[in-house]
Amino acid sequence: MSRRVVITGLGPVSSIGTGVAAFETALRAGRSGISPISSFDASGFPHRNAGEVTDFDPKGLLHTLDVDAWGRTSLFAAAAARLAVQDSGIDPDVLSGSRAGSSMGTTSGESQVIEAITGQWVRQGWQQSAGAPAAQYPASRLAVAVNRELGLTGEAITLSTACSASNYALGYAYDQILTGAADYMVAGGADSVARWAHAGFFRLGALTKERCSPFDAGRSGILHGEGGAALFLETLESAQARGANIYAELLGYGLNCDAGHMVAPDPVSIAACMRLAHRNAGIYASDVDYICAHGTGTPANDAVEYRAVRDVFGHRTPPISSIKSMLGHAMGAASGFGAIASALAIHSGFLPPTINFTAADPEMTDIDPVPNVARQTRVDVVQNNGFAFGGNNAITILGRAT
Amino acid sequence: MTATLAISGWGVLSAAGTGAQEFAGTLAGAAPSRAADVTAMFEEPLPQDRAHALVGFDVRAHLGRKGTSFFDRSTALALVACGQALADTDLEVGEANTGRVGIALGTTTGSLKASSDYSRETLVNEKSYLVNPILFPNTVMNCASGQAAIWYKLKGVNATIAGGPLAALSALRYARNAISRGYADALLVGAVEEFSPHTAWLTEQLYPEAAGRVPTGEGAAVFVVEAADADRAGRRQPDAEVLALEVGEFAPPGEMPDPASGLAAVIRRALAAADVNAAAVELIVTGESGVPELDAVERDAIAATVPGAPRLLPVKHFTGEARAASGALQIAAVLAHHRADPARDGAVSVVTACSPDGSVGAAVLRGWSRGDGTGQSR
Repeated sequence: MSRRVVITGLGPVSSIGTGVAAFETALRAGRSGISPISSFDASGFPHRNAGEVTDFDPKGLLHTLDVDAWGRTSLFAAAAARLAVQDSGIDPDVLSGSRAGSSMGTTSGESQVIEAITGQWVRQGWQQSAGAPAAQYPASRLAVAVNRELGLTGEAITLSTACSASNYALGYAYDQILTGAADYMVAGGADSVARWAHAGFFRLGALTKERCSPFDAGRSGILHGEGGAALFLETLESAQARGANIYAELLGYGLNCDAGHMVAPDPVSIAACMRLAHRNAGIYASDVDYICAHGTGTPANDAVEYRAVRDVFGHRTPPISSIKSMLGHAMGAASGFGAIASALAIHSGFLPPTINFTAADPEMTDIDPVPNVARQTRVDVVQNNGFAFGGNNAITILGRAT
Repeated sequence: MTATLAISGWGVLSAAGTGAQEFAGTLAGAAPSRAADVTAMFEEPLPQDRAHALVGFDVRAHLGRKGTSFFDRSTALALVACGQALADTDLEVGEANTGRVGIALGTTTGSLKASSDYSRETLVNEKSYLVNPILFPNTVMNCASGQAAIWYKLKGVNATIAGGPLAALSALRYARNAISRGYADALLVGAVEEFSPHTAWLTEQLYPEAAGRVPTGEGAAVFVVEAADADRAGRRQPDAEVLALEVGEFAPPGEMPDPASGLAAVIRRALAAADVNAAAVELIVTGESGVPELDAVERDAIAATVPGAPRLLPVKHFTGEARAASGALQIAAVLAHHRADPARDGAVSVVTACSPDGSVGAAVLRGWSRGDGTGQSR
């Protein structure tokens, strides 16, 4: 009998709330997590807002890790993982004694560590920088931090496939459980706001100033975000046996690569990825009740996503909203937050809104972006989009566990 | 069902040689060559005058001028190794299977130089935001795999795995899953690490006390990986089968849970999964680098699990400490030992790895020569 994979724990550490209750409340309220940048001196930049987790308290959230020995992004990953495990209700000792591991996605890994090291090199010269950060910069430490925090000795894999990385990580974790290679997996992603990416997105013309308004006629770009997103995965059988709360079932995923351009997405390739995800998940496009969009808020990206969605769904396009309007673009954690929002949509019966919406884009008047206000409705199947630099498309499909 | 992987071709760039033949030749030699003089490579100061770097490497000599001028060094190394692997395999890659062929590349954190230099620009420029937008994608860790997909027109599963010393084993595990689950038919799998003042200084600062440490290195190795039971009608014997790939997370040396016992358990699990008796292991390619506490993890684990005295090859003495690339260069070393030596056909080798964080892994491979004794393709 084939194993089924369900989501029984959610761990968001985000600019709109930490912990599943705060996160769901914020999604339902359409709360913005955008604030003036505080993690670096942004005074030299024309744009100075981002979705930082200004109240991140690693010491308060983590039980095991020495917070001074790890970079911010690893701490986001580990804190999100701890929250997801707590939310799942599983006995931590049972978990650490099981075949369990982690799979975490990221865009820039320990970007703040690399920036700190670079700052030392600039200010003090190459010879003078201290040794400790040298141990902290490898991006592999994100998943390692999760395993160490939870005492897991199974595989810890960090997938650095940029802004769709959490969906890659979820997909890999799903397969590990499905095939019996692991019994429990923590999967998601993490990233930190960093000066270099802020500068890069600005110079690409992709950054907006005040608010991110995906699918809106006046949308003008992304806002940089950050945080950690983790989901706890196990088999349906295991969840039922321990009487766990099941948010949703992970039905499958699809991956492909544009192989065309490093930063400009390809609607034909993205549509192919959607069809692949549907096929792998064993669903039809018409089964999808809600699309949790990649929805970065740049004029070009949203237009490409729209074209791909219309190609696959035609006149029966389900509501499609972007939680990046609230969180900003949390990079490697983005599709992890999308997966958490998707699981909550199914479990609690609501569609998260696209906030900052003022007027429909004349080129895409026939979609429903769930403007500004969350909507109560039954949701059975969600498509969670993730696209990235490098043409790395990854889409996960979540469904009601019946 | 988890597929057994077959390697049908490979490419390598390292101080120990460029391309399968040259790399195999160097490893067959008696002693590692001295590290190269790197003092003229960069304007920035370096911690040591010598490193196992590819001092004269010029991507244009391999891939031409067009489209290569903005590649960071990691991307350039990876693309050249991918090209070598595709030229070395008898798998046809083209229009018909472009969506079924992909890439899984291992890294530490992408091009550290690209990211750090970008960050530096924001500090030293009069206007912090006046960075070069064309170079921005180089700061993202999937740059090499994304560019390789474009260059070689591979639209299938495209993944980057940040795994440091474990990156190549993790990339192979990722590829094995993708192939077993039917997401792809073949993947270019490998890992890359560049030499730069950035990597040289950080490697130096990690182990200032280890006097016998191998010099910093760089390189890339890429393998064409398919399911071993795929239809191979009319094709040659693969270079190797990857019989097992096992990993685990423990603590850094000296802490609990002990990484040496952890690696021993991982090796046992790998041998069991490969259905191979420990006594049959002829060669173990280790990740030893002259850092005593890390080397001891591998030595102790091997002593506890593989009795007798198989040949140990610490390949970093030839390639330098090439971080994420090291695991791929270890696997390349196994393949190199088979390439021109039919007497070793069917022999079993083990690759072991250990990271400073206590991540450990082991692979079991069975290799074959290219059949005619020359190491050339039939």
